[in-house]
Amino acid sequence: MPDMRFAPPNPLRIADRASGLNATSVRSYNERLVLSLLLQNQSTTRLEIGERTGLSAQTVSVLVRSLEQEGLVAKGEAQKGRVGPPTVPIVLNSEGAFSIGISVGNRRTDVVLIDFVGKVRFHTTLANPKVNRSTNHSEFLNTIRKAISMLPKKARERLAGVGLALPYSFSSGRDQEGYFNALQIEIEEHLGVSVFVQNDITAAVSGESMFGVAKPLSDYMYFYLGANLHGRLVLNHQIYNGNSPLSFDVGMAALEKELAKHRQPLEPLWERTGSWPDYGDLLIAWEGRLIDQMAQSLESVSQFVEFETVVLSSYAPPEICGDICRKLEAQTGVRAVAGNITPSPKAVGAASLPFSSRFIVE
Amino acid sequence: MRTVLCYGDSNTHGQIPGGLTLDRYAFHERWPGVLDRELGNDWRVIEEGLSGRTTVHDDPIEGPGKNGRTYLRPCLMSHAPLDLVIMMLGTNDLKTRFHQPPSEVAMGIGCLIHDIKELAPGPGGHVPEILIVSPPPMLDDIKAWAGIFRDAPQKSRELALQLEIMADSQEVHFFDSDSVVACDTLDGFHINRDAHEKLGIALAREVELIGWK
Repeated sequence: MPDMRFAPPNPLRIADRASGLNATSVRSYNERLVLSLLLQNQSTTRLEIGERTGLSAQTVSVLVRSLEQEGLVAKGEAQKGRVGPPTVPIVLNSEGAFSIGISVGNRRTDVVLIDFVGKVRFHTTLANPKVNRSTNHSEFLNTIRKAISMLPKKARERLAGVGLALPYSFSSGRDQEGYFNALQIEIEEHLGVSVFVQNDITAAVSGESMFGVAKPLSDYMYFYLGANLHGRLVLNHQIYNGNSPLSFDVGMAALEKELAKHRQPLEPLWERTGSWPDYGDLLIAWEGRLIDQMAQSLESVSQFVEFETVVLSSYAPPEICGDICRKLEAQTGVRAVAGNITPSPKAVGAASLPFSSRFIVE
Repeated sequence: MRTVLCYGDSNTHGQIPGGLTLDRYAFHERWPGVLDRELGNDWRVIEEGLSGRTTVHDDPIEGPGKNGRTYLRPCLMSHAPLDLVIMMLGTNDLKTRFHQPPSEVAMGIGCLIHDIKELAPGPGGHVPEILIVSPPPMLDDIKAWAGIFRDAPQKSRELALQLEIMADSQEVHFFDSDSVVACDTLDGFHINRDAHEKLGIALAREVELIGWK
């Protein structure tokens, strides 16, 4: 019987020296813990990781080295401290992983490719896939295939997966989670890439909290302004997902109806170009109705929970969102910030799903 | 005030490439001296570099004093409490007389790590931080030493990976010296003044990266 103290080495790390990303199944919990900290903060140090995880300095060193070799993290620029030696932060390597996000919207489908720090490297809009209810849909497959084929080779090798964000209507009448799971399995079987399906509004919140203005926030009320107005509550970084189909007809569809009555141009509403013509009083009146609805939702929710911030995401022009936030803040006294994820918060949110599923621990 | 022990062989001792037995770089030129300068007043650097030191072997020719294992315990106890032990060893294990593959050399290092953890010479009886540094790979041309180090250059190039696997397995810090320095062509397995400077600076940054409260 050999002395097991001197058994062959059994490395803690799972990263080998091959290029490309390690399979999800072999990534250790502790590696994901380190990546979670990095995805949820701008940068960190080995000391901070140790303090926040309770892992020893030596264990953190092994994990970080492993992630460095895999190309997921890199050394940041040295920061001069007031005392002591400069500290070298650890940051995510933007080229370390890529992800595709697909959001099927009211009128069109947005496709984005993002890098590991959430920068949109590529964006396009496609016609909505037609959904055939009896066979789970080859149209999704084509959309995803098309998106993958547009990627540069480097990104294809380091693709964490594809996120697919679907509106409530796609699962209406069925159990949403079951439907999404079935769809995920079917697409993965056909394409051989990891696919993550989620409700589109919930995906948009994920994107805003991983890459956008909500990154430092732990508790907030989230509104998504699309054709309709949707709300989600985020408590302690967790998206409270009631799978609520509830939305309010005070969004851009409502504005469109008003504008149509007055023979105003409608196409700019659905463009992602970031500017609308001057709609004058029609716009102001619509904003008023929208803000009233948001204020009412806030009031109902605040009976149960306290929150300090409201986040509003939309593909509407930034100055419109900023204006709505200022007015909402004036009316309710709650701090309101406009999301800064462009051009499609839902598609970027969809693209954040493979990252969160593969790299983040709850 | 923190204390670091630099435990190694001739390349920690500061043996001058191609020189005579007693030729040694001055303290401020050797990597532990450079480390001392770079880390500043918060650190005390203790040098323990012995030419010919192996990981765990009594040397049948050079004598049992070259055994890195038997000397390690009294050495650690002499200098305790230690915040950090930096260990750069393994090249001498590749001598023909020991017939060791790189993986066995790494087992020897693993054994030393184990001994340090068991003795726990850190502050308050804790295990100190341990940083394994893989020695710079030997050059192909090792001049008159080719007989003593038969097949060693090839093995020395595989050593870093084996040591890293061992370091990961034992959960200790690791640094590959090959990433910053190479051996001098004068003898093919010692590092020169310039390399000592680079290694000392690189290791100082590694020490800082560990993060100390």
